[in-house]
Amino acid sequence: MSSHWLPVAGEGLRRLRRWPLRTALSAVTSAVAIAVTVNVISLSQGLDEDIRRDVERFGLRTLDVEAASVVAPGTRVDPLTLADLDRIRARVADLDPEAVVPRRHAVGTRIPDGRRVQLVAAPPDYLGTLDVPLAAGRWLTAADAAGRDGPGPLACALDSQAAADLWPGLAPAACLGRPLEVRVAGRPLRLVVVGVLSDPLRYRVLFETFDSSRGARTLSSALLAFRNVYLPFEALDGAPLSGISVVARRAAQVEALRERLFDLWPPRAAGLAAFLEPGIGVFVRKDWMDALGGSTQTGVMVGNFVWIVIVLVAAILIATLGLVGIRERYDEIAVRRCEGARRRAVAWQITVEGTVTALLGGALGLPLGYLGAALLRALVDFPFRFEIRYALPATGVALALGLLGSVLPARRAARLDPARVLGRRIT
Amino acid sequence: MSAPSSAPLLVLRGAARTYGRGPLAVPALKPTDLVVDAGEYVAVMGPSGSGKSTLLHVLGLLDRPTAGEYLFEGRAVAALPDRDLAALRNRAIGFVFQRFHLLRDETAERNVALPLLYAGVRRPERRRRALGALEAVGLAGRAGHRPGELSGGEQQRVALARALVKRPRVLLADEPTGNLDSAAGARVLELVEAAVAAGAAVVLITHDPRVAARAPRRLGLVDGCLGPAAGPWPAVPAGPGAR
Repeated sequence: MSSHWLPVAGEGLRRLRRWPLRTALSAVTSAVAIAVTVNVISLSQGLDEDIRRDVERFGLRTLDVEAASVVAPGTRVDPLTLADLDRIRARVADLDPEAVVPRRHAVGTRIPDGRRVQLVAAPPDYLGTLDVPLAAGRWLTAADAAGRDGPGPLACALDSQAAADLWPGLAPAACLGRPLEVRVAGRPLRLVVVGVLSDPLRYRVLFETFDSSRGARTLSSALLAFRNVYLPFEALDGAPLSGISVVARRAAQVEALRERLFDLWPPRAAGLAAFLEPGIGVFVRKDWMDALGGSTQTGVMVGNFVWIVIVLVAAILIATLGLVGIRERYDEIAVRRCEGARRRAVAWQITVEGTVTALLGGALGLPLGYLGAALLRALVDFPFRFEIRYALPATGVALALGLLGSVLPARRAARLDPARVLGRRIT
Repeated sequence: MSAPSSAPLLVLRGAARTYGRGPLAVPALKPTDLVVDAGEYVAVMGPSGSGKSTLLHVLGLLDRPTAGEYLFEGRAVAALPDRDLAALRNRAIGFVFQRFHLLRDETAERNVALPLLYAGVRRPERRRRALGALEAVGLAGRAGHRPGELSGGEQQRVALARALVKRPRVLLADEPTGNLDSAAGARVLELVEAAVAAGAAVVLITHDPRVAARAPRRLGLVDGCLGPAAGPWPAVPAGPGAR
């Protein structure tokens, strides 16, 4: 392109004003594509980031020693015992972990309605293995464990979702002080709620909708249900340990701790597959998170596929409008060629026209996307989230859309034979 | 206008243009020899479909001969790349068409300035020269009007100003008075003749003997064959370039 490329681009911009309807149609096509694209990107990327963040609350510095959660029918699983807890403590003592926390797990039924309740008995430092703030009240203390032998009910804390299951519609603070009676292994247990945790799963609805549509719980939601009733560790005396968590002081310590624990229980299959192997295994929560995070990549990929298809369809529409426009501009293009426009100058002008139109549409598409996201949030209670940081990729997409949509019209215009047009052998 | 070089301005040697191939081939212009000197005024007459426009497009570098040779200022141009042909059209060849072919959404001034844009002339200079060209064709007061706001004669004068603003070596006019009444046509022809007087060669295509009669050299084109045009010719004042 020689020194006249800027004036030729200016000619292109002037032409846009001369064809307002076609320019508007192309811009709206681009705007809709950008709005949808931004929303799809924001949904898929936003979900991915949020889910990763939610999962990270489960503890980046925590290792778990657990019996397999999922085993084949008839497979015998050796439970963890307090002796195992002592072995772990002895084996990692010189690495000075922040905590070694056992827990017990039981399934109870609420009295009188028989509602199923997940019970986790854990010592006070169990909360430190999670990154979940309290929504109301307090966490369990050593004094609560002492209350086991007293006449009053035992203190318990609830996951937010457990509170919602037990008392639908009640605010966390309103659950405090409420009595709860459950039957565990045939004996009744009287509890009183002293604290309610926040729900760490921002998009719980996604997991649970997926589970309910399949009629079964996914491994992810089983591991990260966060719908437990927490009791003092001693409340389930006699029950086997369901797991022991080792919390490192620093993330860099995790590997060393893992190696120590592997001395006690050798390595198993990698990632979530480890849960399908019988027996006791050592799991680093970060590995779970990576595996779960990896699974969200599929969603991101599907989202990307959707917006790419939308952009291609929009590019085809813009190209079609452009081709129709070129057909109506044969005379103009032939005259420009007569007066010295090179093929490349003609192609450049058409490309500028298409690209600027698409960029105008992109500028319109961002607020349109914002409104669309707000509308969708209001209508379907789905985590559509528009963020201004998507303006940059949206501009890139609009640019690509304009260039893609201009390729064919620019090519046709550049290849137009002025002699055929002026000789009226082509109209 | 530029000073003429010693070589003839335009030379066709056996130049032909055939559309299509094989049995469907249509020879629009049969092998033709033509020499046009700088400052020469040539009228080409012929009936519709005789190949007049094809000849003009070949001469104007809008089309390439399928056979033979075309020399422009002594330089073989038939095989030049698009870039060079566009540059030659831009600086050396002016076009005027029967249907004016103005950009209908642009003002007269911007229409006239169009070739200067592709020549890389800066905007103030483009404007100055365009207004000068419009003044030369008597349309200084119409610079801001769009073609739809001008009469046919005025539109053709705008087209003529656009052709002349680049100070071409040759002006190729295809039925420039075909859509005009006699008064407007006469005015346009006067301007064409003024261009010849200023040193430009003119090849004017027409089927009107009265228009052709104003040119000192008249050629006829019948069925793609170019030769001397047969008279008799109406009595008209001899234009510039008469020999």
